Order: sequence, then C-alpha cells, then structure tokens
Amino acid sequence: MRSGSLRTYSIAASTSMRERLAYPGNFAGSMFTYALFVFIFSRVWAGAYAGATEIAGYTMRMAVWYFIIAEIPSFGFGRFFWTLSRDMKSGQVAYLLARPYDFVSYNYAEKLGGSLAEAGVILAEGIAVGLLLVGLPPAAAPGAAGLASALSEAGRLGFLVVSLLLAGTLNYFLQAALAMTAFWPEENEAFFWIFQKLTLVVGTLIPIEFLPRWAARLAVWTPFPYLSYAPARIAVAFSLPEALSLVARQSLWIFAAVFLARAVFSFGSRRLSVNGG
Amino acid sequence: MGTIRMARPLGRIRAYARFMGAAFAFNLKATLEYRVNFVLQFFGMLLNNAAFAAFWMVLIERTGAVGGYGFSDVMLVWAFVSTSFGLAHIVFGNVRHLGRIVMEGGLDVYLLQPKDVWVNVLSSRTIVSAWGDFAYGFIVLALTSGTDLQRFALFAALAVPGALIFAATFAAAESLAFFMGNSSAVSSALTEFMLSFSLYPEGIYGPGMRWALYSIVPSGFVAFMPLRVFKSLDWGLVPVLCLVAAVYVGLSYGLFRLGLGRYESGNRMDARV
Repeated sequence: MRSGSLRTYSIAASTSMRERLAYPGNFAGSMFTYALFVFIFSRVWAGAYAGATEIAGYTMRMAVWYFIIAEIPSFGFGRFFWTLSRDMKSGQVAYLLARPYDFVSYNYAEKLGGSLAEAGVILAEGIAVGLLLVGLPPAAAPGAAGLASALSEAGRLGFLVVSLLLAGTLNYFLQAALAMTAFWPEENEAFFWIFQKLTLVVGTLIPIEFLPRWAARLAVWTPFPYLSYAPARIAVAFSLPEALSLVARQSLWIFAAVFLARAVFSFGSRRLSVNGG
Repeated sequence: MGTIRMARPLGRIRAYARFMGAAFAFNLKATLEYRVNFVLQFFGMLLNNAAFAAFWMVLIERTGAVGGYGFSDVMLVWAFVSTSFGLAHIVFGNVRHLGRIVMEGGLDVYLLQPKDVWVNVLSSRTIVSAWGDFAYGFIVLALTSGTDLQRFALFAALAVPGALIFAATFAAAESLAFFMGNSSAVSSALTEFMLSFSLYPEGIYGPGMRWALYSIVPSGFVAFMPLRVFKSLDWGLVPVLCLVAAVYVGLSYGLFRLGLGRYESGNRMDARV
C-alpha cells in the first residue's frame, strides 16, 4: 500500500472543492429538488400533526428541522458510489492505482472535498428554507438565557458540523466498499440501492424514534442511523451527553467502515488484470 | 365518398397502432437482450418504491390519517402513479430525452421518416426500470384490494389516461427546448413537480395550490382523481379522464408542432435501424 503525504490529500480535497465551486450553476438541480422535498415534507408533517402537538417526542417544528438536516447527507454525500463505480468499470482504476498515493485515502480526500462544497450550499439553503417555513429551530437549551444559552447554541452548532463531517466520512467508506465490489460482479448497483433505501427509511425520512420499538432497537446496532439521524438529532434535540454518544458511535462505525473498504480493496485489487498501455 | 373519408382516419389510426406495436416489440426485445440488467433494474425500482411504503406505514401507524389519507389510500396513489409513470416510459421512453434530442439537432433522422415525428421520436426507446414501476402498481393493488377482476380492470383503465397525461406533460416540458435552447433546468423542475406532488396526499396542499394540481402540474388527474374514481367504482368517470388526457395530449402535440417550425438541423449523420 502506497501512502501519500497529508499535503497530497489536502491538495486533492481543496482542488476538488474549488472545481465544484467554479461551476455554481451545477448546484441548481440539487438545490431545487431539496427545496421541493423540504416543502412537501413540511406539508406532510403539518398533516401528520393536525390535532397533535407532539409525536414520539418531536413537535412539528422539530420534525421539519429534523428533515431539513437529515436530507443534507443524502444530497451532499449520497453519490460517491456512482463515481467510484464508474472508475472501476471504465478501467480508470488501473491508471489511479499506478500513482504514488494510497487509492482509498486519495479518493476519500478528493470525493469528500468536492461534496463538502455541495453539502455547505445545501445546509445554507436548508437553514433559509427552514426559517421561512417554520421559523427558528427549537432552542438548544430551553429556559436558559444569556451566556448559558449562547454557549449551548455554539455547542450545538459545533457538534452539528462535526457530526455532518463524520456522516460524510462514514457515507464515503461504506459506499466505497460497495463500489469496489465491482472487482467481482460488474453489475453491483443492487447493493447500493439496498443501502440507499435502508438509509432513507432508517433515520432520513423519519426519526428512528418513530419506528416500532423493536425496529428502533435493532437500528442503533447498524450504521444507518449514523448517516443522517445523528446530525439531525443533534440539531433538533441537543443534549451534551447524547451528542457525545452519537459522535462517538459515528466514529466507531467509521473505523469499521474504513477496515471494510480497505479489506474489499485489498482482496478485489488482486483480481485486476491490466492489459495494454 | 363519405365511406372513403371515414376509412382514411381509421386506416391511419390502425397504421399508427401497428407502428407503435412494432416499436414496443422491438424495444422489448432490445431490453430482454440484457437480462441481468433488466432484472436488476426491475427489482431496484420495486425496492425504491417499497422504501416509501415502509415510511408511510410507520408514519400512519404513529399519527393516523395524513391529509385525509389512510395507509391504503397512500398506497393506491403510489400504485396509480407508478403504473402510469411506468407505462408512459415503457411506451414513450424518449419522452424525457426529447429536449436533449432537439437541442443537439437530433430530430433530422425522424423528420425523414414517413410517420409523425412526435409519435416516432417518443416511442423509439423504452426505459428498462419503468417495468418495475409498472409492475409495482399491480402488486400494491393485489396487496391492498385483493384480486377482484373488476377492480383490476378499473385500475388498468385509469392508468392508461394517467400514462398519457404523464407523457404529454413531460413532452411539453421538454418541447420548451425549441424556444429556450437548453431548457433542461425548467423541464427537470416541471417533471420533478409533477412526480413529487402526485405521490403525497392531496389534503396536505392548501386550496391555493390545488388549482395548479389540476392544470399546469396535473397530478390531480394521474393520482387524486383516479383514487376517488377507483374507491367509488365509478366507471362513468373513466371517459372523462380519457377526455382530459386527450386535451393534454393535444396541447402537448400543438406545442411540439409550434416548436418544430423553429427547429434547426444539427447536420448530424445518424442512422436508425
């Protein structure tokens, strides 16, 4: 395994980010679809909360803000699989492997760097749309005032940003592991579809507290809630112990996902045979 | 003389029916040539739709009806939308590529052929994953309403105008390319609106928005009205929906013909076999 310097990976990430930002028009499609989804789901929640003030511990305002944040990883970090899979199938992987850097790490830096730009744009849009639709998100420390309130808000924002970055990282390594299965069957989209739909149901469209008790208990032992539930939960129901626990569990799943991606790459790349020049 | 006048339009309808049947059979053969891809896309689309079914099941279990719709209502709306959407893309698979074809000057090859350009270009492709959408509606119907033949027949009769309205609306949005050049942003937006608004209960939209759902974004005619007709088993409203579909098809065709006058050849060398 080759290992490039940290500088190599930072340059890859920043180049990719600048490349995305150079064509801001390309964000228009995602921004439009995201705004449409948020609007429709705000109406769905308005319908669901007709006659109820709280469901599974969430008020309507919390549910709308939850959806706004939970959709950010889907829009910002949901497409790594396709670019990686394309590189595998087109043979581009043969050129990338010959270069003086670690394939998995370089791709992580490059892909995450580019998608951070999109996630940032979607986050800014989400905040604007959320303010327009339901007003401010619930306070991080209800009842607190002055400095205590400001500290809680700053803490929530900090944890939210960290949790979104961890969600992006976990998304990358899980999708990379799935994409690299193309070393075996070339038609590997089905694996990603299953992954994508489980992510959607377990914590993106709906908080896991809404799931039946047995399903919620099972869900916390899978990586899916840490892809979108964790940052969304931090945003709408912030408490320091829970935020620490969620971020710690996200980190543990990242370790597992890195191990998995590296194992798939290690076994899969042995099957690669390069012909021609 | 009168008999001859009558025979001509009927003959043309028969000729176009034969042509569309041949295009469908050809596209189907091409699809089945890549069986693994077909099976993957078919089940992938079923899975995609089933994920939303899981969401609605969990939500309605918690909250009760949403926007006046219970779980079976939402599932039936999904059934109508997915079958109509699937049918539109199986038969008129080029419908969401029309704008790009116009923009790239790719209509030349269709202009040289004897059949109507609009029908020819729209039906010259099929979308593989659309088979999954098409089947999903029938599966949902069997699970929610049983296997009553009359209901199946009514469902199929309602899905046909739905498919025509989908195809006509998407084609109209794509035909904007004649007037705007690159209209992909506008046509994607209209397509996204049409699909997204159709898949959620009608009652969640305020009265201020409902008029749009029965005009510019005709979700009402592909989802909400078919649901009402289906639940009341009112066959009498099927011809009304067919008439509505005919109006949308006529308007979409008119827009295409208007745009065709502005079309400029791309001087491309294309071949159609």
